[in-house]
Amino acid sequence: MDALLDFSQKSGIYDFMHSTWGWPAVETLHFMGLSLLIGTVGLFDLRMLGLAKGIPMNALHRLVPWGVGGYALNVMTGVMFVTSAPDQYLFNPAFQVKLALMGIAGINVLLFYRFPFDRVRRADAEADAPRAAKVAAAISLCCWIGVIVCGRLITYYRPPYHWCFWC
Amino acid sequence: MDLLLWLEETAFSTWMRESGPAFFSTLVLHSVAMGFVVGVHVATNLRILGAAPRIPLSLMSRFFPVLWVNLVVVSLSGVLLLVAYPTKALTNPVFYLKLTAVVAALFITRSFMKGVLQDPPTDAGRAAGRDRMLAALSLLLWAGAVTAGRLLAYTYNTLMASHLY
Repeated sequence: MDALLDFSQKSGIYDFMHSTWGWPAVETLHFMGLSLLIGTVGLFDLRMLGLAKGIPMNALHRLVPWGVGGYALNVMTGVMFVTSAPDQYLFNPAFQVKLALMGIAGINVLLFYRFPFDRVRRADAEADAPRAAKVAAAISLCCWIGVIVCGRLITYYRPPYHWCFWC
Repeated sequence: MDLLLWLEETAFSTWMRESGPAFFSTLVLHSVAMGFVVGVHVATNLRILGAAPRIPLSLMSRFFPVLWVNLVVVSLSGVLLLVAYPTKALTNPVFYLKLTAVVAALFITRSFMKGVLQDPPTDAGRAAGRDRMLAALSLLLWAGAVTAGRLLAYTYNTLMASHLY
């Protein structure tokens, strides 16, 4: 925790985040990154689950790099939050669950590109996605929606006044 | 102000404020639905601007049921949050900026639905200059709405009307 705080203070992030508009500005960017991710990866997942057939999955996948951009933005802004008030996060069960969901989403991404993606890429415009792709899409949507829910929980129930079953 | 005072003293408004789960779940719904409303607009506007050029423009609206469902959720949860703290939002100019940005962006979407998304000159590639300009404007308006929404938590001058008495 000291290392995180140290990084934040030495890099100037800490002072910026605790200035008048620092925290809200970075939160706003975090929300924009979230929208980029949901709007690209989320819609790609929905197409694999059977919505908007007629749109080729391969063509829709070209939007995913924008979602990766949103994800990168949110990792950066997320690091700015956590390192500027580590005690609010590390001991917060909502943050712990959020990280776990991000981990699951990450493994899901690796498995998706390793296995069903090739068949998804070659599928026709009207085609149903392979079953494995549907499972990956459902996991992805659940994880990212869960990540948003946990993100809101972090600021709503702050430690030490939080609910926690294991800490 | 009397009206706001009356509203925040109703049993329902008090419950929205004081029941943790009610307020929190409304806030969560508002955030998740915002992600989808803004998200569908991000995808549509990026497509009009020329990203992912092989998505047929005329089929992009097949995602719009997601947009409408989430627009209903975001509006209803927004009204509930407003009922919880009516004075906080209604006395803050930022709130009206947010509403204006959302309404203007939705007008652009409506014009797209009658135009470039319904009957595009070509289904592939980027859209005409005017549509691309409107798509860029729509993205800016949504960015503005998200910014204003976030700032609502920081810029209010009166949390509750009762505090003025």
